[in-house]
Amino acid sequence: MDYQQLLLTLLPDLLVVVALFAALGVDYSRLRGSRLAKRYEVAFQISAAGLIAGLAVLVLQIAETMPVMESTADGQLELTRSTLTLKALLYAMGLGVLPLAKRDQITPQVSEYFALLLLATLGMGFVVTSRNLLGAFVALELVSLSLYAMTVLNQASRASAEAALKYLTFGAVASGFLLFGLSYLYGATGQLDLTQMTGLKYSPMLVLAYLLIFVGLGFKLALAPFHLWAPDVYQNAPTPVAGWIGSGSKIAAAALLIALLKPVSSTLKDALIPALAALAVLSMVVGNLGALRQTNLKRLLAYSAIANAGYLLVGVVAFSAAGNTSVIFYILVYSLASLGAFGVVAVLTDTLGRDAEINDFNGCWKTTPGLAAAFLVFVLSLAGIPPLAGFLGKFYLFFAAIEAAPEAASWHDGFYWLVAFALIMSVVSLYYYLRVLKAFLVAPADDGAAITPSKIGWAAGVTLCVLALAVVALGLWPEPLLALLKNPS
Amino acid sequence: MTALLTIILSFIGALVCGLMPSSAHRRIRWVALAVAAAGLAVSMVCCVKYSGGEFVILLEADWIPSLGIGFITGYDGISLPLLLVTGLVAVCGVLFSWTLETRANQFYAFYFALIGGVYGVFLSLDLFLLFVFYEIAVVPKYFLIAIWGGARRQFAAMKLVLYSFGGSALVLLGMLALYFGSGLTPLTFDLRELMGANFSRDLQVVVFPLIFVGFAIMAGMWPFHTWAPTGHVAAPTAASMLLAGVVMKLGAYGCLRVAVGLLPAGAQDWASWVAVVAVINIVYGALVALKQDDFKYVIGYSSVSHMGFVLLGIATLNLTGMTGAVLQMFSHGVIGALLFALVGTVIYSRTKTRMLDELHRLIDRMPGIAWVFIVAGLASMGLPGFSGFVSELYVLIGAWGSLSGWIVAGAGAGILLTFGYTLVKIHEAFFRERSPAVDNQAETAYPPMTLPEKTGVAILLGAALLIGLCPWLLTDKISPSLKLMLERFPN
Repeated sequence: MDYQQLLLTLLPDLLVVVALFAALGVDYSRLRGSRLAKRYEVAFQISAAGLIAGLAVLVLQIAETMPVMESTADGQLELTRSTLTLKALLYAMGLGVLPLAKRDQITPQVSEYFALLLLATLGMGFVVTSRNLLGAFVALELVSLSLYAMTVLNQASRASAEAALKYLTFGAVASGFLLFGLSYLYGATGQLDLTQMTGLKYSPMLVLAYLLIFVGLGFKLALAPFHLWAPDVYQNAPTPVAGWIGSGSKIAAAALLIALLKPVSSTLKDALIPALAALAVLSMVVGNLGALRQTNLKRLLAYSAIANAGYLLVGVVAFSAAGNTSVIFYILVYSLASLGAFGVVAVLTDTLGRDAEINDFNGCWKTTPGLAAAFLVFVLSLAGIPPLAGFLGKFYLFFAAIEAAPEAASWHDGFYWLVAFALIMSVVSLYYYLRVLKAFLVAPADDGAAITPSKIGWAAGVTLCVLALAVVALGLWPEPLLALLKNPS
Repeated sequence: MTALLTIILSFIGALVCGLMPSSAHRRIRWVALAVAAAGLAVSMVCCVKYSGGEFVILLEADWIPSLGIGFITGYDGISLPLLLVTGLVAVCGVLFSWTLETRANQFYAFYFALIGGVYGVFLSLDLFLLFVFYEIAVVPKYFLIAIWGGARRQFAAMKLVLYSFGGSALVLLGMLALYFGSGLTPLTFDLRELMGANFSRDLQVVVFPLIFVGFAIMAGMWPFHTWAPTGHVAAPTAASMLLAGVVMKLGAYGCLRVAVGLLPAGAQDWASWVAVVAVINIVYGALVALKQDDFKYVIGYSSVSHMGFVLLGIATLNLTGMTGAVLQMFSHGVIGALLFALVGTVIYSRTKTRMLDELHRLIDRMPGIAWVFIVAGLASMGLPGFSGFVSELYVLIGAWGSLSGWIVAGAGAGILLTFGYTLVKIHEAFFRERSPAVDNQAETAYPPMTLPEKTGVAILLGAALLIGLCPWLLTDKISPSLKLMLERFPN
């Protein structure tokens, strides 16, 4: 094995690891006893520098100006343009979380907060690039463990501890299911390397393996009925962490699901589709109907995440190249919008000192017009309104699901019923999205408004601007990203 | 290329107005007027220069080639009258909102986002692009009604948006079926290609109602019309002018261009059902209008009734009837907008009430306005000399040609009912005496119309009169394009 090349290939990850240790080390040594604000500032700068450097190397790797090992033994790493793009986007979004974490100075354990954020990002990067059952599982656990720990960072809040415990116990059980499923997959194929598996035929063992995998990944994606942790965690975790749970970890889990389903042949596929379709329908129902009753904004976003995971499966059910691209594209644009929405909430509520109800945002159009406009963009994208990216993502999912009919079949053989159901549910979802927007944009400012935002700060401002622009731009001009994601791996 | 300016200018106008400070509402309204007038001017130039019946292609570019989506824009004789009515209503909407001050910047941002979407629908020759613009026009309506509307505005706005979105969901499903069922290689959303595609009959029969109903919900088709009266009534004047004048036409345009244009065999199978629903629209709308006490609800239900004529014209599937349908879209766009402007702004801003039984002999107290309203009401009723007469005549003649006598008789009864409610409501509003004990100011006179109001009335009434006297100005553009569409119909 060429270690020099391996080192160059993993340079982005190494840079992040260096930044992680630097942040910890500086915080423990030089900054002992410094003001909290100072420690946050330094940890933020070091972490951001690490991610920016890693991102720069990744961009060079995608542009093929830096050499990359395309794949390593046992499929541990599969670095094509599409997986590298995904990794780069994860790093970029992780970079976006940092300023939000810096603003909301929720814990005295500053460097641990940032180190965990970097660890989670690192793990996500490995999940999307790994094609080895064990490697991907370990990476996914790295993500999960970091997220469990971050959820509980707000030690002043009992609810936060409760949510973290719930997250941990549910998550541990789900990981057990996932590992069990992966071991069955290994047992049936004798392979750990996903790239070596092709054309898995129907067998009860494999169906069982995949069903267990659906349980495990269903938890990470917050699919109903494995969603019970989501509302509590979204509501009680520090808002930037909730944003990162709702975006980055979803991307990682969706990418892993697609990679695991790639070797499935058509006989096995027919056995798995009913399970996936049932999960999709159930998630759409639970998410959308659950969201209707919520008065807490972050809880509402959690239910919206459940519903969106349901839409996502509509593309998975297609089992086609277009379906896989559409799933990745959708989870990306969903994550951008979701992270943006959480970002706005984080910026607006960090001086509130309690959970923000939807009514607390009344009159934001007057007090913070820029944030209200950004929030409009994010929520409309979540609702799937053109010309924003969320619409195109949803459209592509439905497109793929209907295209899924085999070549010779007639026009009515696609998954019309599933698409029709998803469309009905998106009409329902518009009701609660508009209810949120009503508080931000319609309600008069003096109507029980409790939000008095502190200064946004340039870093958080730039992050939200870039996210909003990305949501608009990907809706208007998706072709470049689609081409990058489509690159066969 | 010039016609694309309508879309571009509207979106730029939305951005510019949105970024101006709301305290500058005097400057904002002039900017808004300029943007709207520019759009009108562009549509008029296009209308004057157009002849033939073929599509004029404006811009044809790849957008998302991997999904067969292009940015293809153009217009023909069917879209032109609608572009024109959009321009007219946009200008007059600004004129009738001249005194608006609260959040004026945001008002015009949403206003022009809506108008840009509407222009976009009329100029799209790609099914996906058309759908995108159609959806862009939905959300601004919510905010226009929910922020600046009257009583029960939250409910009305939500209802309207959910109905619109429900319709869009049907259209999207039908659209995907069309795409994958077209049998074209490569698959495409290009409307011109899809018009030439050979859709199987069973596809046409299943997909036609999906797309037709999806669009017709926006056109106020019974029994999905209930968003229209509540929405119209709760909306601020400019928004109800746009809703009645333009947004309902979006739905009707979609029915004509997409449902009938792409699925002629499906249309033939379903035509009689559409005609029945259309007649229910006409008669039911008129009957309900007769029972209303709120002046704005009267106009709201009369819109539902008049849109029935558009649907009936489409259902005839012959040249005369469909020309009548397009002409009726223009005619109702202009006259409906005028009536909403008169009731919602001109009369309401003076009387502070819209309840008919609280109005006392307005003919004495605001004679000028009353006479303008009476003329407008007669125009809406179908008085010869105004565009409504011509278009309804075309529709009825067309219906004689291809539909059963019962349908025509029903529509005729609807016209009689229209006479009835128009005259009754004009009497109640302007000539009826109320017991003076209730109203101590019953004898005070109201101020006359302001200059912007006069201008707006003159533009809309003038347009209705011009087309009423010289219908060939529009029918010469409409008929050749419809003829091309009808040539593709199977016998």
